[in-house]
Amino acid sequence: MKKKIGALFIACAMIGTVAVGFSGCRGAAPDFEMPEGGFDINKPVTITFYHSMGANLRTSLDEHIAIFEQMFPNITVEHTNLGDWNGVRDTIITELQGGNHPNIAYCYADHVADYNVANAVLSLNDFLADGAYNDLTVPTVLVDVETAEYVDEEGNPSDEAVTVERPIAFTQEEQDMYNPIYFEEGYEFGDGSKMYTLPWAKSTEVIFYNKTFFDEHELTPPTTWDEMEALCARIKEIDTNSAHVPFGYDSEENWFITMCEQQGSPYTSATGDKFLFDNAENKAFVTRFKEWQDKKYFTTSTLASTGTNTVYTSNLLLDGTLYMSIGSTGGTSYNQNLSEDKVPFQVGIAPVPQIDPAHPKMISQGPSVCIFKDEDPQKVLASWLFVKFMTTNPLYQTEVAMSNGYMPVLKQEIMNEFPTYSNWVQKANGSTYLTAQAVQVGMAHESDYFVSPAFHGSSDARDQVGKIMQQVFGNTKTVDQAFKDALDYLRAQFSA
Amino acid sequence: MKEQEKDFVEETPAAVEGTPLTEAEQAEQDLREKRRKRNAIKARLRNLKGWVYLLPALVLLAAFTLWPIINTLRIAFLNGYNGLAEVGGATFAFGFQNFVNVVNFPDFLVCLRNTLLLTVITVPISTMLALLIAVALNSIKWLKKVYQTIFFLPYVTNAIAIGMVFNAMFGEVLINGTPLSIGIINSILGVFGIEPINWINVGSSTFNNMVVLIIYIVWNALPFKILVLLGGLQNVDKQYYDAAKVDGASRWRVFWRVTVPLLSPMITYVVITGFIGGFKEYTSVVGIFGDSMGAPAAPGSMNTMVGLIYDCIAKNNGGLAAAAALILFLIILVATIINLYVSKKKTHY
Amino acid sequence: MSLNTVNSSTQNAAKGMKEKDVKVVSKRQTVTKVLVQIGLYFFLTIVAIAVIFPFYWMLISSVKTVDEYNLYNPTLWPTEFVWGNFKEAFVGELHLGQLFGNTVLVGVVSTLLSLVVTVLSAYAFARLDFKGKNFLFGAMLATMMIPGELFTVTNYITVVNWLNWKNTFAALIVPFLVSVFYIYLLRQNFMQIPNELYLAAKVDGTSDLKYLWKVMIPLASPTLISITILKMMGAWNSYIWPKLVTSDLAHKLVTVGIREYGFIQDGVTNFPAQMAAVLLVTIPLLIVFILFRKYIMRGVSRSGIKG
Repeated sequence: MKKKIGALFIACAMIGTVAVGFSGCRGAAPDFEMPEGGFDINKPVTITFYHSMGANLRTSLDEHIAIFEQMFPNITVEHTNLGDWNGVRDTIITELQGGNHPNIAYCYADHVADYNVANAVLSLNDFLADGAYNDLTVPTVLVDVETAEYVDEEGNPSDEAVTVERPIAFTQEEQDMYNPIYFEEGYEFGDGSKMYTLPWAKSTEVIFYNKTFFDEHELTPPTTWDEMEALCARIKEIDTNSAHVPFGYDSEENWFITMCEQQGSPYTSATGDKFLFDNAENKAFVTRFKEWQDKKYFTTSTLASTGTNTVYTSNLLLDGTLYMSIGSTGGTSYNQNLSEDKVPFQVGIAPVPQIDPAHPKMISQGPSVCIFKDEDPQKVLASWLFVKFMTTNPLYQTEVAMSNGYMPVLKQEIMNEFPTYSNWVQKANGSTYLTAQAVQVGMAHESDYFVSPAFHGSSDARDQVGKIMQQVFGNTKTVDQAFKDALDYLRAQFSA
Repeated sequence: MKEQEKDFVEETPAAVEGTPLTEAEQAEQDLREKRRKRNAIKARLRNLKGWVYLLPALVLLAAFTLWPIINTLRIAFLNGYNGLAEVGGATFAFGFQNFVNVVNFPDFLVCLRNTLLLTVITVPISTMLALLIAVALNSIKWLKKVYQTIFFLPYVTNAIAIGMVFNAMFGEVLINGTPLSIGIINSILGVFGIEPINWINVGSSTFNNMVVLIIYIVWNALPFKILVLLGGLQNVDKQYYDAAKVDGASRWRVFWRVTVPLLSPMITYVVITGFIGGFKEYTSVVGIFGDSMGAPAAPGSMNTMVGLIYDCIAKNNGGLAAAAALILFLIILVATIINLYVSKKKTHY
Repeated sequence: MSLNTVNSSTQNAAKGMKEKDVKVVSKRQTVTKVLVQIGLYFFLTIVAIAVIFPFYWMLISSVKTVDEYNLYNPTLWPTEFVWGNFKEAFVGELHLGQLFGNTVLVGVVSTLLSLVVTVLSAYAFARLDFKGKNFLFGAMLATMMIPGELFTVTNYITVVNWLNWKNTFAALIVPFLVSVFYIYLLRQNFMQIPNELYLAAKVDGTSDLKYLWKVMIPLASPTLISITILKMMGAWNSYIWPKLVTSDLAHKLVTVGIREYGFIQDGVTNFPAQMAAVLLVTIPLLIVFILFRKYIMRGVSRSGIKG
C-alpha cells in the first residue's frame, strides 16, 4: 500500500509540473464585422434561439418563425425552451466556455453582464437607424404576417414570391415603433453608450386579489405598505382560520429590491463598491416583515412550498387560502379563476403597495433578447433580422399579450390598430379577461418602472437578497446574520 | 542455468578446434539462436501486451480523467479564474487566492460540517447494521433468499427518485404553514404518542433535516455492504466455527473473535468505500431537498462539499470550484490513509 | 462485560457439558437455538420492513387520490384506487416514454462497451506482467479518491467544444466508459482465480484471450453481472452530467426529467402524481433486478472463490 501512495504522490507531482507550464488558449468569438456585400441570402444558415416560453406561447412563436423563414428562405430558426430564466442563463454561461452558445437568447440586463465577461454579446449600435449600416439592404420576400401568404409591393396577394430590397438596420420608422421606455432599457448594462438588448415583452408586479371577498367586506386594495398592514389585521379578524393568510408574495428577490427602490435605500451599484444592501434601512423593512409573518400576514412561494416543488402564490389565491397574491403580470393566466368547480370569485388587479404613493416605483420585468457574436457573420446578421422581425411585429406582440398578460413593447397606438387586441383590452374585467386587465394596469404605470444596476454579480446579488428574506422568514437565521452571510458570499465570489 | 552451462561446455570443443560445424550442429545452433530471439521478443511482446489490453482504458482515462485533473490544478492556482473571462481574453495571476476565498466562504464551514457529520455518522451505523444483518442472514435457512432479496432492493433504485419518496414520507403537506397532512412517519410516530415533528418543512431544524438525511443514506448504503459482507461470510471456512463450537465459545464471542477478524478485509473495504462515498454525498440531498440543498427557507443548509463545488461551477467560478475540489480531495486522501493505517493494524488475514 | 468473565463463563459452560447428561444439554441447546432463531427472524423482519417501507409507500401513494393522500393521518391502504396518476406521466408534459427509451439506450450501450474495457484492463492488471504495472494501478486507484465533480467543467468543454457532442448519446456514454472502481473490483476477482489454472492453460498453449474468454470470464461472471447492474443503474441515476450536455427531449434522461417536472395542483404538491412517476422510474430497475437476482446471489457466494 505504501507503494500505491508513493505512486500517487509521484502522479500528483507529475501532473503539477505539467499544469504549471500550461495555459489556456481558447479565444472569444470575434467582434462582428459586416461582410462584403452584406447578408448573403443564397447561403443556408441555421440560427438558434434559447428562451423560457412555455407551451401556451409556443404555437404563436412557431407560426411567426414560419413566416420569417418564408421571408428569408435560406434561414432556419431553431428554438429551445430551457424551462426558466436560470436555465437559460446557466446553459449559456457553460456553453460560452465551450464555444457553442446560441445566437439569440431571452435575457435580462443582469445576464448580459454575465455573458459580457466573455465579451460575447453583440452591441446593436451599428444596427440602429443612425448606425453605421443604415445604407445596406437585404433582399426580402414579401409575406403578409396575418395570412402567411405572399404579397406584392402593394400588399395584394401574390401567387409567387416577390423579392424587394429592404434595409438591414432599423429604419427610423421601425425604431419609433417601440415604446421608448422599454427601448431605452437596452442601454442598461455598461456605461449607457451601448445597446445590447431589445425588448421582447414586458411585465411588472401587481396585486391579484379576491375581488368578491374585498367587495363583500368593503375592503380596498392597499396603495401603501401601511395600508397593507392595517388590511392584513382586518382580514385576520374577518377570517380567523389559521390556514388562511391575507397575502402572498411570489418572489422574495423582487420584494427586497422593490422595497430598496421605494424607500431609496442602497441595494447595488454598477460602479465602486457593488454590494450596498447591508444597511440599517434594509434591515428595518426585513425586520418589519418578519413581525408581519409572525402574525401570519403573508406567505411567499418559498414559505408555501411543500416537498421540493415551488408553489406560486397564485395557486393559493385560486384555492381560496390567500386573499391577495403579488406576482408578475406575465403569470396572469395562472390567477384566472376559470374552472367552474372552484369557489367562484372575481379576481381584481391593483398596483403593488408603495412607501410614497406620490412617487410610485414598480419593478420592470419581462424578457429582452440579446444576440451573441459568432465566427460566422452571416449567423449574426440572420439573428439580427429575426430579432428585428419579431420585436417590431405588432401581431406577435398582441398574441403574447393576449395569451399571458405581458405588456406589448410597441407603442400603444400601433397595437390599437389591431381590433382583436383593442377590443380585448377594452373588455378587461375580473374573470375571463384578467390578462387584459393586467395589461391595462401595467401600462398605466409605465412611467413608474425601475430597473436595478446590471453588472457581473448583479444576478447573484438578487439571489442573495432573496435568501436573506427566506432565511429570516423561515427562522433559519437572524436578520443580522442573514445580511452578513449574503454579503460575505458575494464578496468571496466576486472579490477578484 | 545449469543446463545452459552444460550445453556450453559440450559445445566449446568443436568451436575451439575450429573444425567446421556439422550440418546438424549448425541447425541446432540456429534453432537456439532463434529460440533466444523469440524469447526476447516474447518478453517484449508480453510487456507490450499488457499495454495493449489497457489501451482503451488508458486513452479514455487520459482524455476524461487525466486532462481534467491537469486543467483543474491549473485553474485552482489562477487567482479568481473564471472560464467566461478566459474566453473573453482575461489572464490570471498564479497564487493561492482561490483557496483563501473558498475557506472564507460563509457556506464553506456549513458544507464541511455537513459532509463530515454525514460520513462519520452514516459509515459506522451502516457498516455495523450491515454486519449484523449479514451474520443474521448467514445463520438462518428458512426464507433466507426472500430476506436477501428484500435487503438488496435499495441497491437497485434511483437515488433522486427514492429521495423524493423519503421527502413524501417525512414531509408534512402544508397550506400556509398549517398541516393538511402530517405525513406518514409522523402518523406512525403518533401511535407511540409522539407529537408531529417538523422534519423537512419550512422552519425545520438542521438537526431534524440531518436525521432524515442520515436515515436515507444508511438505507441506501446497506445493500452494498450486506452484499460484500455476506459474500465474505459465506466463504469463511466452517472449520473456524466448528473449532469455536468445540471450545464452547458464546455466540457473541464467536462474532467478535472469529467472524469480525475473518471478515476484516471486507469490513475495511466497505468502510473505505463508505468514507469515499460519504465525502462525495450529493444526490441524496438533491433527492430529498431539491436543488436548493436545504429545507424551504433554509437554502444551502444541507449543502455538502460536492454541492459547494457545483455552486461554484454554476456561478461560473472555475477557480473557486477547482480549489474546493482540491480541498475535498485532500480530505478524502487523509481519511483514506488513516483508514488504511488503522485497518493494517486491525486486519487479520 | 469484561473479557475475563466471558472467559470464565464459557469455561464453566464447557465444564458443565462434560458433567451433565448429554440429552439435557442437547435439549437446552435446541431451546437456545430456537430462541436465537426467533430473535434473528424478529430482527431481520424489523429491518426488512424498514427497508421495504419506502417502496410500499411509493406504491400505495401512486394510486391514491390527492384528497386521500392529504388526510391529516395518511391511510396505510388506499380506500379508493385511481390510475390517472400513471396516465398523466405518459401523456402529460413529462413524456416518460421517450425518457425511458433514451435512458435504456444509453444504459445498454454504455454497459456493453464498458464491460469490454473493464475486462481487458482487469485482466492486464491481474494476469499480465509488464513494466510499470504497479505504478499504473496505484495511480489509477488514486484517481478514485478524486471527487468526480472535479472533472465536470473540463469534460464539458472537451465533449461539447472539441468533440461537438452536445445533444448526442455519445456525450452521455463515452466519458464514463472507464470506471477505475470496476477495474479494481474485477481485478480482485481475477486475482482470486488460482494461478495454477493460468499456468496449466499456458502449458496447453491456450492464448491469453482464449483463456480470458473461456476461464476467467465464466469464473468472474458474478462480478461481471454486478458490474453490469451497477453500470445500468449509473445510467438510470445519472443526473448532473446529462443535465449539462443534453437540452432536448430526444436525448434527455429519466432522472433529469422527473426532477425538473413540477407536481403542483391547487397550491400543494400533488404527491400521488409524483409518486406514480417515481414508481414508473423505479420499476424497470426492480424488473432487471428480479430477472438477474439469481446471478447476483450466486455472485455473492462465489465472489471469493476458494483456492
